[in-house]
Amino acid sequence: MDKQRKLLSAPYYLWMGLFVVVPVLLMLFQSFRDMDGSFTFLNLKGYFTSPVYLYMTGQSFLYAFLITAMTLFISYPAAYFLTKTKHKQLWLLVLILPTWINILLKAYAFIGILSQSGLVNQLLGVMGVGPQPLLFTRSSFLIVATYIEIPFMLLPLFNALDGIEGSLILASRDLGANEWQTFRSVVYPLSLSGVRSGIQAVFIPSLSLFMLTRLIAGNRVMTLGTAIEQHFLVTKNWGMGSVMGIVLIVIVFVVMGLTRKHQRGGIG
Amino acid sequence: MKKNTKRSSVYLAVVFILLYLPILYLFFYSFNKAGTMNQFQGFTFKHYSALQKDTRLLIIALDTLRVALLSSLAATVIGTLGAIGIYFSRAKRTQRILINLNTILLVSPDVIIGASFLLLFTLIGFRLGFYSVLVSHIAFSIPIVVLMVLPKLEEMNEHMITAGRDLGANQWQVLKEIILPDIRPGVFAGFFMAFTYSIDDFAVSFFVTGNGFATLAVEIYSRARQGVSLEINALSTLLFLVTIGLVLIYYFIQKKQRSKKQPLSLDPTNHEKAVRP
Amino acid sequence: MEKNIVSFTHVEKKYEEEYVLKDITFELKKGKFYTLLGPSGCGKSTILNIIAGFTQPSSGVVVLNGDNAINTPAEKRKVNTVFQDYALFPHMNVFDNVAFGLKLKRISKQQIREKVKTALQLVRLNGFENKETTEMSGGQKQRVAIARAIVNEPDVLLLDEPLSALDLKLRTEMQYELRALQRRLGITFLFVTHDQEEALAMSDEIMVMKNGEIVQTGTPMDIYDEPINRYVADFIGESNIVKGRMLSDYLVSFAGKRFVCVDGGMNTNEKVDVVIRPEDLTVTDADAGQIQITVETQLFRGVHYEIVGLDQSGNEWLIHSTKKTESGKIVGLTFQPEDIHIMRLSETEEDFDERIEQYTTSVNADEKGADFHG
Repeated sequence: MDKQRKLLSAPYYLWMGLFVVVPVLLMLFQSFRDMDGSFTFLNLKGYFTSPVYLYMTGQSFLYAFLITAMTLFISYPAAYFLTKTKHKQLWLLVLILPTWINILLKAYAFIGILSQSGLVNQLLGVMGVGPQPLLFTRSSFLIVATYIEIPFMLLPLFNALDGIEGSLILASRDLGANEWQTFRSVVYPLSLSGVRSGIQAVFIPSLSLFMLTRLIAGNRVMTLGTAIEQHFLVTKNWGMGSVMGIVLIVIVFVVMGLTRKHQRGGIG
Repeated sequence: MKKNTKRSSVYLAVVFILLYLPILYLFFYSFNKAGTMNQFQGFTFKHYSALQKDTRLLIIALDTLRVALLSSLAATVIGTLGAIGIYFSRAKRTQRILINLNTILLVSPDVIIGASFLLLFTLIGFRLGFYSVLVSHIAFSIPIVVLMVLPKLEEMNEHMITAGRDLGANQWQVLKEIILPDIRPGVFAGFFMAFTYSIDDFAVSFFVTGNGFATLAVEIYSRARQGVSLEINALSTLLFLVTIGLVLIYYFIQKKQRSKKQPLSLDPTNHEKAVRP
Repeated sequence: MEKNIVSFTHVEKKYEEEYVLKDITFELKKGKFYTLLGPSGCGKSTILNIIAGFTQPSSGVVVLNGDNAINTPAEKRKVNTVFQDYALFPHMNVFDNVAFGLKLKRISKQQIREKVKTALQLVRLNGFENKETTEMSGGQKQRVAIARAIVNEPDVLLLDEPLSALDLKLRTEMQYELRALQRRLGITFLFVTHDQEEALAMSDEIMVMKNGEIVQTGTPMDIYDEPINRYVADFIGESNIVKGRMLSDYLVSFAGKRFVCVDGGMNTNEKVDVVIRPEDLTVTDADAGQIQITVETQLFRGVHYEIVGLDQSGNEWLIHSTKKTESGKIVGLTFQPEDIHIMRLSETEEDFDERIEQYTTSVNADEKGADFHG
């Protein structure tokens, strides 16, 4: 009977093997090949000795960090307040509904909003400030990326906060803690699992956003994702692109490791 | 207490407005007589009729839908069976490794998936186009299906399977008559998520579309790089309406299933617990 | 007069248009063990929530320790709760759980350590300070929850069905322990349960609730022996309830016969419910019995046989007997006049108390009377 079950899930293992493991191995293999296809360490050496690439990686990290911090900062109170509203599931749905709009369209909307005579500059004009160049700046990249990532942070935070037993809050109040003390010593520590998944869900994609860097930041921001895309599709230097891909994979594992659930009792 | 409630409503309202403002901005200007996204010069439907005549875009839209439907269906079948396989794998260690692997796939950056697929397809000489996009979409949708189905399997009462076997059902009948109906909400959610992932995807498709084929996202990208065209606004308005429709249908189906499953939550004897602050 | 720790005056609670509590008035005195007894949904937990400050009453006055408590937030009340699901903080170990309330009071670390130690000793969890609560059994979690509450030295300890998740043996053990703990600490306990045995075993006073109202208040003995109506009689234990008629004071007719009883104060020929507890019935030979029944079934229950039979009028009788009999056999039942409990069909608690006071004292004057006048 176990055989049948294994047979049923065979397509899954096959598909995962063929389309996940093999491609990643190919990428690893490719990172040791030069443009002509012969074996070399030059890509690896080139990456780790190039100040440009290392600076780019650091910058990518910094932006991902800032985006994650900003989404967390905005989403945490929102998620917390959401759990206290009456029809919380419906409101949650309303807040994460924008996720279902193609990311391209959202980026495109910001091209209009941030343009020379767009919404923001019109508002600035009303306040007596002359038009500012907003589009194609680093801060516009941060703003748009944060905007796009908010729902992905909101959802795990909401789930973690909503999953806290109501009786724990009552118990804390009962033992003499006021609302703030209850938040600090009960709600916040118990919501950390959600913070961790939120960071996973935002930090990693933020490292690899490549389309926004073009459309919104006008190539003023270089992320790992942009660099990989460029090496694969523009300069066709697949070897160097693969090295960066592998670096990105390693970073993913590190982030996952750092934000992993602590195996401590029943909570994460 | 009252003051706090007010403050939190204000905060939520601000977040709500910020999240929806860009989208509404987009819609608003789709009716603009002028061809730009900043000076509104009068109401018109002309961008919608231009959209109607743009056969290239319509074909791309249909192709995108085709990819989304086919890939999410395939991913749902493979992912559900995979989840059942993971659930029944005897060794808990194997199970945990498989679940971790699934999570890693779920968070792995699109660029990596796209680039590594490009490598694979090039190596085996697979022509880039409809099928390469379809295959990649299936691959990145499977983990999300597994993620939606596994919790339902874990919630399932395992005695049902034993009972089914006891009553004479064979392995296949147990799967068909007991397991699948029980995890149906999860399978359904998985399909829905896979579908939206596929529609939403840009990065992976961008790597593997090749020359003759495009998905909507890829097409919008290349048009947006050339500047603002209100046809895109018109298109996004339509897409958003369709999406909202789908999401709402999904939400109410889920809600109905929930209340059907647990009529007790409306039981007055639970009232005390239900209204606790 | 002892001091009132908690008093409710005409307290009502409604959600939208539905009443959860109707005109609740009672007092809790210092150092006593009270139980709210009733089925789920009868409003007993709502009373607890109002005392704890988690819910506000819709109307009425709640006084805690002499002060009107309506506007006192939960954290400022000298009331602590043991929750049904224990509500232990999963991210803290036993020590941190128990010390939670103390740490908020800004007392010295040394003192906190000592108090926690004493509290854990009281619940017999010495040396469990560094254990994770998630690793503990249900019974141990229960003890931690109690320690966490009593360490704050509350005026009242509220216990919301705290034993319901434990198995039978542990539950009985905890009943003894809770009772002993309450005596030792001298704190007022208000215990909520739907289990009548639990209520009878532990309480100084029981309040029986039904649909948001307190139906009867009294000592376990009072409530067991003199249930006010069919609902209480049924709820408080297994009993035989048959229809009867009051012929005159101290004379009642049921099952087609007349019997001397100890109740009075009712109208002549008034219809009443007659209660006789299964353990008050004794099985004898058919002709020696006051009532004859045909035995239908007999079950061995360990301590006793549980016999069910029918009399000639078709009433069903449940008997707990140490002697066995046979099904199909006709046997007699005997009982004493004081085993017959008469309940009027609709009588308020005040009327009931007044009538009982008048009519039971004359027969049972020795101990009962003292109780009622005291």
